[in-house]
Parts: sequence; structure tokens; C-alpha cells
Amino acid sequence: MAHPTLLDRHLVFVTGKGGTGKSTVSAALAVLAARAGRRVLLCEVNAPQGRAGPLLAGQPGDGALAELYPGVHALNVHPGEAMSEYGRMVLRFRAVYHAVFENRLVRYFLRVIPSLAELVVLGKILHEARSTRPGGGPRWDLVLVDAPSTGHAVQLLRVPSALVDAVPAGPLRHDAEWMERLLVDAVRTAVVLVTLPEEMAVNEVIELDAQVRGVLGMARAELFVNALSPSAFAPEEGLSLTRAAAAPFPLGPAARAAELALLRAEAGRRQLARARSALDLPTTLIPLFPSAEWGKAQVEQVAEAIAAGWAEEGR
Amino acid sequence: MSELRRSLASRRIAVCVGPGGVGKTTVAAALALGRALEGGRALVCTIDPARRLANALGLTALGNVRSRIPAARLAQAGLSPPGQLFAMMLDVKRTWDDLVARHAPDPARRDRILGNRLYQQMSAALAGSQEYMAMEKLYELANGDEHDLIVLDTPPTAHALDFLDAPSRILDFLGNDAARTLLAPALGAGRLGLKLAQLSGGYAAKALARFTGQQVLLDLGEFLQSFQGMYQGFKERAAAVRALLSRPEVGFVLVTSPSPLSVSETLAFERRLLAEEMPLAGLVVNRLSEDLWPGPAPLPGPAELSRELAAAGIASDDTAGEASMAARLSATLAAHQALVAAERRALSPLFSGVHLPCAMVPRLESDIHDLSGLAKVVAAL
Repeated sequence: MAHPTLLDRHLVFVTGKGGTGKSTVSAALAVLAARAGRRVLLCEVNAPQGRAGPLLAGQPGDGALAELYPGVHALNVHPGEAMSEYGRMVLRFRAVYHAVFENRLVRYFLRVIPSLAELVVLGKILHEARSTRPGGGPRWDLVLVDAPSTGHAVQLLRVPSALVDAVPAGPLRHDAEWMERLLVDAVRTAVVLVTLPEEMAVNEVIELDAQVRGVLGMARAELFVNALSPSAFAPEEGLSLTRAAAAPFPLGPAARAAELALLRAEAGRRQLARARSALDLPTTLIPLFPSAEWGKAQVEQVAEAIAAGWAEEGR
Repeated sequence: MSELRRSLASRRIAVCVGPGGVGKTTVAAALALGRALEGGRALVCTIDPARRLANALGLTALGNVRSRIPAARLAQAGLSPPGQLFAMMLDVKRTWDDLVARHAPDPARRDRILGNRLYQQMSAALAGSQEYMAMEKLYELANGDEHDLIVLDTPPTAHALDFLDAPSRILDFLGNDAARTLLAPALGAGRLGLKLAQLSGGYAAKALARFTGQQVLLDLGEFLQSFQGMYQGFKERAAAVRALLSRPEVGFVLVTSPSPLSVSETLAFERRLLAEEMPLAGLVVNRLSEDLWPGPAPLPGPAELSRELAAAGIASDDTAGEASMAARLSATLAAHQALVAAERRALSPLFSGVHLPCAMVPRLESDIHDLSGLAKVVAAL
């Protein structure tokens, strides 16, 4: 089902603390957008072998642009390739490009000019976000980025504005300027935050949120709280469970499992409440799906949980 | 004491590495606290941009200078270590500035570098800069003798690989002879406005200027020239840092969690460290669910648990069917054991592929946000 505030954007960056499920949430959002009829490009920048793409494809890929799921193309953006592509774009002719790139000195400069690698990675993504089809109209309805975790995401996304400040007028600055304009365009572009219902993760997402607003000046679309533990027990039953947990096999272990589930669910609820009151963002909950394997089926499960959460809130 | 703690007992430096979100910072802090509890003087240093370590130690902030965790704070958590616990968080920019100040031949040169736009940009934002400075700080700390154990926490794997590569990459940047030879004479003659094309007379430089603009290259040239004469000092130091890492007093600790993604990234990291001949000291599996039903016996059903509840005299509300307490207990235990089994399957490639002293840390039901929580992790290590 369509989600007017998130899936209607053109460019969405998914970030949060490491290990909170950014890749899974990115892949699930891509699935939902595709089901709503959007042409989706899922970009990743994190691991050489990719994470979100292989989740959807069910196997590791080479990271090249490919349709991995009906309506979802995925692309793993490597700094080296993005640099070459950028080079060809600027220099226009392949022969010229080779002549220049084979120069040792040029390679050196491209590698070391501060933040150029980040700039071309981001530039590749943003270029996709504004590219058009031959017949006109945007090539992608939605470009979803499985972005790096907290501190590194801020570092990546602040490259254009840092360059605008540091670099005098010239081609580099010109590119940094249009990129910055697209990033802070609150209608087209937004950041999605992912956290776990755990104290440290919530602390980090609160800090990240402040940086997205303050340092980056970007719009935030939504908070996803991932891996919420369900509990079939009410807090009032805690006392009975503690008594039962002292019993021998088989009641003891069963009651202990229930006690743990209750503790976890209560802690999760507390942290969820903290995140909600600190962030003031539309919040979607995703339950914990224990599984030894993560693939398309699990991503679809998460997508359905997100859709259900949206439906419940009437969004 | 676990195998892992024994393996670390003979080392003076522990470097915690692993994927994001596995609790590396917590494990790093716990290793340091453990040594303090044994009577040592231990320091934990984090380079993570997010402020997790301060969090875990119950401090509001940490700076580039080590601070001692006060005995009173430890006592509040019921801890009275015979040793001392210190913590610090790396300030990348400050460490760069200190390094420049140390190597600069005179204050004028120092100020020229610190004032250069590209330097300011690089020291704060150049990828790998953080990791390079972490190694630099580690070296500085390791050369003092104030600590029996220094534990270094690192950023997640995608970037943790950088701390092996970053020093050479950045040294290449600072010391590239071709670049300096090309740019320095013109700059030295004070002809800053000289056209870049004239500098090299080549097509390459012109093409390059189309990427960056000419001024950027000239800024860079000025910056490189300021570094002239300092490069050797930097290079020697980086080589010493690298040599330090492969000394037997250093031990890398792989930290992971029982999820398939963490395990595959941990395996990749182990291969890389082995290839670089870095000394591996151990493996920590963090956040393991407790196996509540060991053995092959079938899990109890609602009827059996209902009888047991009655026998234990526990009033179970009790509606029949799915909502009854016995049925919910049965389902909850089954779900818990399914999680245990999933974790075990996820970990099996790790245990079949990696043979290191290992510690398993159970998942604790509260966050490790204070020292008493950290002490529980120490107990498991």
C-alpha cells in the first residue's frame, strides 16, 4: 500500500546505528515501493559484496545494476568505478579518459583530494536520482540508499556542503552545489532512521537525528524501530512467572523463557517511548523475526510488517 | 578466567574489531574493566564517532585526554577494583594538530599548515583519517608505561579495514614525490597564480583541473610544500605503528554476534588479519541467548505445563485454549529455543573455520549502560 510521506519522495537515505537492520529495512521499503508501482533503484555503498541487494536476490551479486526483484533495480556503488564513470562524464571521450587516467599523477590527485571519493559516490547516487528516461520523466520514481551507519553517514552526506565551504569556484564546487541543493530539498529528499529498542541504539539515533537536522539540514521522513520482542505475558503476570521459574524441569525453563520475553518486551517499550518522545517523527514498529537465514522471504515478512504498521496508523 | 582472558593476560594492547552493532565498545570496556579488577591499570580508547563508550561507562563525555573512572563511581556499582580504569575518546582533529605541531620545524610552518583550507578539511573529514589517527594515538599510548593494558575499540568492519590501509594511503598523499616535484618549484617561486597547464605543460594537468578547478590543485600544492621536510618523520612513525601492531604484545580480538551477517563479516575480517600477519588473540561472541532446553527431550506442551502449574500451586488465570498461561508458556519456550537454534546455526561456520580462544557472553536483559551492567559482561568474559 502506498505511503504518502515516504514512498512518494524521490531520494531516501536509510541510516542508523550499525546492526540495527538498515539493509533489511532498505530492501523492505524497496519491495513496498515496487508493489505500489514505483520504479525503484536501491543503492548501497557499504560492503564490497553488498548487503541489501543479495538479500533481495537470494545470492551475492557483482553489484552491477540489475533488476533483483520485480520493479527493484539494485546497484552497489564502488568509489573506484564511480570515479571512472565521473571521469568519463567530465571528459566525454573514452580515449581522452584513458590518456588522462593512465597518468600516474592524475591518479594520485584523484585519490587524495579530500573527500573526492565520497563526492563521486554520492554524485553517482544523486546523478541517478535526477536522471531521466529517453521519453522524458524521471528514470527512477524512488532512489533508496542503504547508507552507512550513524557517524559515517553524516560524514558522507556533509561532503557537498563541506566542499562548498572549502573549495573555491570551479567544477568541483559546481557539482558540490547542485548536490547540496538536492540533499536539502525537503520535498524530494529525506532521511529514514532505523533503531533497535535498546538504550544505546536509541541514544545514538537521538544524536543522529540532531545532526541530520542541525549539521545536514535534511528532512527526516520516518523512524523505524526494528526487532521489537513480542511478549504473550502481561506485566501483572511477572510475579507468577518468577515463582514458576524456580520450579524444576519442565516448568522452570518454560517460565524462565516467559520471564525473559517479558523483561525484553518491557525494556523495548520503555526505549520505544523514549525514542518517540525525543524524535517526534512518524514511527513504525517492526517485530523481531528470529531466523538463521536472511533472504527474500524475510525481507517480504518485514515489508508486510511495515505495511501493516502504516495501515494501522492510517498512513 | 576464560580462555580469552588467559590469552590476553600476556598482552599489553588489545584491539577489538568486528561488524557494527555487535557490542564491540561494550566488550572493549569490559576487557579494560576486567584488567582493572585484576589489579592492573587499564585504559579503553574508542574512535567511534558515536559516543557509546562514555555511555557505557556512565560518563557524560570523554575527551582526547584519558580520564580516570573515579573510584566512587565504581563503588556505586559495587566494584572496588584493586587496579585503575581509564577511558578516552579520540578527537581526530586534535590528534592531527598535535602530530603536525610535533613534526613542524618552527611555529611559522606549524601555523601555515594548521591554517591551510585543505588541511582543515582533510584532518576532519578525509576518509581513513580517523583510523590513521587512532593508530597514531595508540602508538603514543603504547610507548608510555602508565598502562598494563590498552584496549582499542574500532569502527565497524567496512571502515575497520581502513585502519590497516589508511596510514599508507595518507602517507602517499603527504609524500607523493611526483606531485611535489611538479608543484613545488612554481609555488616556491611565489608564482601561485601560475597556470597549471604551464606547470606540467601536459594535457593531464589540464584535464585534472577540469575536475577540481585550478585553485584546488594550487591549494594542494601549497599544502604539500608546507609538509616538505616533515614527511620523513611521519613516515617513520607510521612504519613504527605498523610494526607495533604485529608485535606479540598486541592481540586482536574479534567481536561478533550470533547473526548470519555478523558471522560472515567476522570471517572476512579474520582472513584479512591473518593475511596481514596480525596477531589474533581471541574471539568474543556477544549477546548469545541462553539455551533453556538442552538435550533431546521434546519441548513441553500446554497440557503438561498446565499440570505442572497446578502442582506448583500457581494460579493460572485460567481460560482454556491458546490464551491460557500454559499454552503461552509452551509457545514462548518454543520460540525461545527456535532463536537458540537459529543462533547456533548462524555461528557454525565461525566455529568450524576459526580456532581461537573464545568467550561467549550471554545476552543480558538490560542494556549495558552502566558499570554494574559492564561488570556482568566481565564475569562472562
